[in-house]
Amino acid sequence: MVPVSRGRDPGTPGPATPTVAAVCPARVPAEIFWAHGIRMIELWDPPAVETGHAAAHFPPMTCGVIRQGFDRLVAARSPGPDMLLFPHTCDSLQNLGSLTRDLMGESRPCLFFCPPTGRSDGTAEAFLEVQIGALDAELDRLEGPVPPGSLECALDWGKRRTQSLRALYDRRAAGGWEVPNGRFYETVRACEHLWPEEAVARMEALLAEPSGDAPRNVPLVFSGVVPAPADLLDRLDALGVRIAEDDFMACGRRVTRTEAQERGDNQIEEGGNPCRILARRLLAAPPCSTVGSPIGERLSFIESLVARSKSKGVVFLSLKFCEPDLFDVPSLAAGLKARGIPVLSVDVELGPATPAGLVTRIEAFLESLP
Amino acid sequence: MKDVVLPVLMARSGRRRAPRADPLFGPPLKSAAELRRIMTRHYALAPYAAGARPVAWVTSGAPVEMLRAFGCYTVYPENHGAVCGARRMGPELCAEAEAAGYSQDLCSYAKIDLGHALSGKGPAGRLPRPDLLFCTNNICQTVLYWYKALAHRYGIPLLMLDAPYISSARDEGPAVAYLTDQLRGMVPELERLCRKAFCEERFLEVLAASRRASGLWGEVLATMKRRPAPMTVFDAFVHLAPVVSLRGLPVCERYYKILLAELRARAEAGVAAVPAERHRILWDNIAIWFALKPLSRLFAEHGCVGVAATYTSAWAETAHMLDLKDPFGSLARAYGLIFLNRDLGYRTRLMASLAREYEADGLVLHSARSCKPYSIGQYDLRRKLGESLGLKSVVLEADMTDFRIYSEEQVKTRLTAFFETLEA
Repeated sequence: MVPVSRGRDPGTPGPATPTVAAVCPARVPAEIFWAHGIRMIELWDPPAVETGHAAAHFPPMTCGVIRQGFDRLVAARSPGPDMLLFPHTCDSLQNLGSLTRDLMGESRPCLFFCPPTGRSDGTAEAFLEVQIGALDAELDRLEGPVPPGSLECALDWGKRRTQSLRALYDRRAAGGWEVPNGRFYETVRACEHLWPEEAVARMEALLAEPSGDAPRNVPLVFSGVVPAPADLLDRLDALGVRIAEDDFMACGRRVTRTEAQERGDNQIEEGGNPCRILARRLLAAPPCSTVGSPIGERLSFIESLVARSKSKGVVFLSLKFCEPDLFDVPSLAAGLKARGIPVLSVDVELGPATPAGLVTRIEAFLESLP
Repeated sequence: MKDVVLPVLMARSGRRRAPRADPLFGPPLKSAAELRRIMTRHYALAPYAAGARPVAWVTSGAPVEMLRAFGCYTVYPENHGAVCGARRMGPELCAEAEAAGYSQDLCSYAKIDLGHALSGKGPAGRLPRPDLLFCTNNICQTVLYWYKALAHRYGIPLLMLDAPYISSARDEGPAVAYLTDQLRGMVPELERLCRKAFCEERFLEVLAASRRASGLWGEVLATMKRRPAPMTVFDAFVHLAPVVSLRGLPVCERYYKILLAELRARAEAGVAAVPAERHRILWDNIAIWFALKPLSRLFAEHGCVGVAATYTSAWAETAHMLDLKDPFGSLARAYGLIFLNRDLGYRTRLMASLAREYEADGLVLHSARSCKPYSIGQYDLRRKLGESLGLKSVVLEADMTDFRIYSEEQVKTRLTAFFETLEA
């Protein structure tokens, strides 16, 4: 397969400085960017830069993803990304996009992507296909049309990246693989900024590592937006916790897991039209609060993660002010408890250090597990 | 439908003592008694609807005309939330939801509703259990998360009309087409859920009634363009209830005819809502329901009259788009293109046009802690309107119903300082 990083002409070496797009959460058709030779960098929890801009533009009840993303975008105005993409993931992100476009003016193209919400039927698929087509046309306008075969090549890389991610998650869930939490998620989350071929190579390198001793850690499923705060994963290692599966918006909620889903993926490919294939891929991803998936579907999904990873319980890391997740958590927690699965639900904020209180609560939860 | 308690309740609702004359205000609106009667009747009848007609809980921005065509009894949790807020029951009901795990940071309307569903508490007693939920995310995405929680709790279907966010940078055509397709697709779904065949004639009647009522509501609001204004936005917040909850029903249209006639008579006679009117204010965002009276008084004490609000205008803004020749397409446009579903550039233009039309010289922005779509972006709206129109403004940090996060003294101090700048 030709690496997509070679730019818009698969036969020639890639551009020295490819166009860079900063992309806000949560679900976007990355393949469209790759096909245009655009490097995509997702903005989930960029390192905080204190510019004061977020405080001047956003009220206090805005979540950290928005505030840190905005500060990062404004602080990095020069040289910064060449373009920005704002999917309509939630109310706050919609307004972030609108505000940033006003502030950036003509200096940076601000693109919008509006996936369907609360629906996944044929009507929604058709609309999503139109949205993807519109994004493709917008990138054509900005970067020029893609050469024949580029989109197909990007689609192949997208599929391969998903397969590698699935292999990583399968191995993690099976246990007997003593890779620290931090290293595992560093590899998974590298997909947020690497070209797909680079991400796949990194995942394959990790997969090639031999299995260690039998797991001594306590396997748990984690749910939330991202593994946060930044040092949480190291703290979990120290506590003897292995995140055996996850329902993080940025990670596990974007990876189809089972063989049945893989078979589904193959059927998706039969769609022919690249935009339709991408629409189907996005709609086939695991349930997520941001696309309005029914709570019952999310409950079944998390329960399946617990079963396949033989986890001892579920930890919800609820990002403060993240409405999509905060509304689901009480019903999910109650549903899991009713099925005899221990649950811990805690509020978290983005930041460098895990508060002592959070560590204590996880410790107490571990002690309460049967 | 059995109607046992209703006469008693309605008699009680009409037996209010006449308010004492207050020199700060003009005579109270006589139509208010009729409004109380209509809304009391609506809530009093609700419990008897269960079993007799399909009961639907509906978001305030949903095209209720679809449900009316199938004879559903509709309940508006947001309106119920506002009533709970006005009766100062917000914190009590929010606390019920918080005890069940819902974060204190979530929308207080949603928490009131979930708290009510969990406890049955509320000023109108227990609302009838819904048979179905109807949600449109044109006002916010929050309603979808909220209604999903309700659907899970009650184990009932959630009808979702997905209204894509309209950005000025992109063509709105695909969004309107998507909405139209969804509306058409809802007909067989509603036929199945309501066990009733779709009657196009009835649907068109409802659509026409809805268009007329929303149009009348627009005319009611337009009376505040007069100097002196015959009513204030604080009155409008209260008189908004029928167009939110009873849109498409004859009673709604009838009521606004009564109100409009009274307001026009007042305007003709030069009757002022606030006799000392000196400054005219544009209000942004939902009302602070528990503080309507003190705020209205504070405004009046400084000769300030709220003459327009983005919130009240929302139910009149796109009604003219309803077209009986293209019922589904026009319904899609009327509900999909409302200002809350559009970007900040559109909102700025709308507010500038309201400020000009109503000759507002000040802007009060309520930054509602639990309403993100409305509140995020207000700092920039304020700056832009200040730059383009020279509009003086103030931001009030509050909430629509939860007074646990409301500082009366702080709001009073900020408003007083703002009113002083208007005098300067």
